[in-house]
Amino acid sequence: MTKARPIVALALLAMFATAPLLIAPVGAQQLSDRAKQIGGKFMCMCSCSQVLTECNHVGCTTSTAMLKELNVALSRGETEDAITQMFVQEFGTKVYAEPPKSGFSLVAWALPSIYLFLGTGVVIFVIYRWRKQAVPQTEPTGGAPGVSAELLERARARASRETQD
Amino acid sequence: MAACCLIFLATFSLEYLFFSDNFSVAYVVAHSNRDLPTFYKVAALWSGQEGSLLFWSFLLAIYVFSVLVTYRNKNGELMPYVGVVMAGVQIFFLSLNNFVESPFKMLASPAAEGAVKYFTAADGRGLTPLLQYPEMVIHPPNLYSGYTGFTIPFAFALGALLARYPGEKWIHLTRKWTMIAWMFQSMGILLGAHWAYAVLGWGGYWGWDPVENASLLPWLSGTAFLHSVMMQEKRGMMKVWNVWLVFITFLLCILGTFLTRSGVVSSVHAFANSSIGSWFVGFMGMVLLVCFGAYFKNRDYLKSENQLDAIVSRESSFLFNNLILLVACVAVLSGTLFPVFSEWFTGNRISVGAPFFNKVNIPLGLLLLFLTGVGPLLAWRKTSTDSLKKNFGWPLGIGLVAGAIAFALGFRQFYAWVCLVLCVFVAATVLLEFYRGAKVIRSRSGASLVASALELSMRNTRRYGGYIVHVGMVFVFIGIAGAAFNRDVQKDMRQGDSLQIGPYTLVLQGFDTKPEKNYTAQRLLVEVIEDKKPTMMLYPEKRKFSTTEENGTMVAIRSTLKEDLYVVFAGMSPETQLPVIHAYLNPLVKWIWFGGVVVVFGTLVALLPNRRAVLVLAAAHQPVGQAVVQGLPSSVALRAGHD
Repeated sequence: MTKARPIVALALLAMFATAPLLIAPVGAQQLSDRAKQIGGKFMCMCSCSQVLTECNHVGCTTSTAMLKELNVALSRGETEDAITQMFVQEFGTKVYAEPPKSGFSLVAWALPSIYLFLGTGVVIFVIYRWRKQAVPQTEPTGGAPGVSAELLERARARASRETQD
Repeated sequence: MAACCLIFLATFSLEYLFFSDNFSVAYVVAHSNRDLPTFYKVAALWSGQEGSLLFWSFLLAIYVFSVLVTYRNKNGELMPYVGVVMAGVQIFFLSLNNFVESPFKMLASPAAEGAVKYFTAADGRGLTPLLQYPEMVIHPPNLYSGYTGFTIPFAFALGALLARYPGEKWIHLTRKWTMIAWMFQSMGILLGAHWAYAVLGWGGYWGWDPVENASLLPWLSGTAFLHSVMMQEKRGMMKVWNVWLVFITFLLCILGTFLTRSGVVSSVHAFANSSIGSWFVGFMGMVLLVCFGAYFKNRDYLKSENQLDAIVSRESSFLFNNLILLVACVAVLSGTLFPVFSEWFTGNRISVGAPFFNKVNIPLGLLLLFLTGVGPLLAWRKTSTDSLKKNFGWPLGIGLVAGAIAFALGFRQFYAWVCLVLCVFVAATVLLEFYRGAKVIRSRSGASLVASALELSMRNTRRYGGYIVHVGMVFVFIGIAGAAFNRDVQKDMRQGDSLQIGPYTLVLQGFDTKPEKNYTAQRLLVEVIEDKKPTMMLYPEKRKFSTTEENGTMVAIRSTLKEDLYVVFAGMSPETQLPVIHAYLNPLVKWIWFGGVVVVFGTLVALLPNRRAVLVLAAAHQPVGQAVVQGLPSSVALRAGHD
């Protein structure tokens, strides 16, 4: 164990240290312009369900026109908010690639956190309850309300008798 | 049995109609033509609403047939209940096949005096260009096999509940069926991602489209079930939870089908809108009613037998694993349906696209990855602090060292960095588990470490197959992390022009037209130069399909473990009338597909029967988690093949 451990560790290191080596040069040169950044917040309206900057439908005139409009607005020095308003007025709220963080749309952003919060609460409650009700293993398994331990055991024996892989 | 045979007959009849170019049948006309290659005539069966529903019935019939044959002389008391549930599901889909969306409707036009005149078309309209890609032949069957496969654990769970079976027998009986369905679902999802990557030409593989999400939902809940099921098998816990997880997984399969076919959410994948949605809503309502009814009637038989001995234990890690998987599942579901809800409540349909899903799911995915590493290090019942230190030390250390190296090399994207550290951590935990087990076998048998690891895996296929699946998921996560460093460039190009992306120089050498049987391809001849040396030629295509007048793309990809050079012929520029090349450099994408292969391999290993009982190994495994087992010999605590 003591001899092999360093070998395993070194092998692991060598294997996974190559991953950053492989992609680090790419990451270092990564560039993004403002149009790409803002365009990534809108959907292409050609009904392809893709983000504006990622729509690559052959001959998609919609995304071309929208990107052109975006470039023109940026060259006029318009703010991101003004550009967003322009697109929303033109296409409606369907143009958002992600719900805005205001009004009813806040619900969409809040829900995952609520799920996680509530779920964690439930898990903690369950753990607490299980810990509180922990019984010594030597005791027979307790019957559930409405079903006696004897009946439960009989049902278990029946299930075991009646089934096979 | 008779129903299964008749469904087989109906399916093969429809295939025969495709192969014989019978253009008197509306479905054949809509999805095939004379020039369609034979290969795609097979796939034409599931390319439309009616045929895919028949295909669903066909796959379900195969599962039902297999179950009936496997248990023909077994489980006499349980099987009638299971059979009724399976038949109920089958009847629903057969009703759709026969009364709502029949694929055998003849071409007809109204004639005089209310009569109908049948006729035969000269040729069909052909298959949608996007579907004319080899993976289209295997992606839907895999995905549908996943969807339909979850009917079997559902039928056993509901059947066992109706039959008042309290124990884990139904779980034991359906373990393999669940894993088979899960494997097909995983393969279907990854093949779909690869198909999107190679055909849609937007440089990505997962766009969080509603239909993609629909396929992910049952996979997430099914994965949660595959983990929590161990709690029931080993400790008799979470019986209610497991039954409901199976019910939910099955309902999510139906919901996925509903989303694809009802037109409720807009999607590039969706079939034409039809009234079929109300049938699915009715069916889901009925299933839910039956599930609630059965549960409330017999819930007393599902009470847990054991309680939690310690907070730091395998049981707790499974609870949190289930929590994260279910939160991800519900978050994806609510995000997918949010446009519908926003329209109901505000009158405005608000889109929820990839940026939202990425923001929500990346942290959840990383949490899950962390738990994937933590789970195997914790013992059942209780893990002592000493054992925690001993088990976490090396994997955590290796992960952090890898992270430090990556950071020093300029790897600064936060999520990608965390992902890398966790991937190394998980891989280290799995390798250490193999190493420790193999070392015990080697000390007894004298075999090499590799042979001992193989022997170890074969002795407890489920446990070590599961670990292989975890390694596969690590590869998938590495590939996904690479997306943080994607970049692309687009340029109108004359012959001889070059374009630079990363270490590659792309030179447009020419442009030709290649007539094929079913389409005409406009092809770019692109030379790839790397380090001033010509490396290879790439041929991105734009295809024009004669029957449909539709266009399609065929991306050219140079794929290595390091990165994919992904070249798209994006069409002719309206301004310059020159061909437009859109080139992407996508790091580590190949790791995703490789990870998928490892996941499938691991699942297959887990499906194998154990070579022999692991009673000898049980004692050897105890130090890993320092399990405290009261009143039971250690060999019994780790039952053969159940970990």
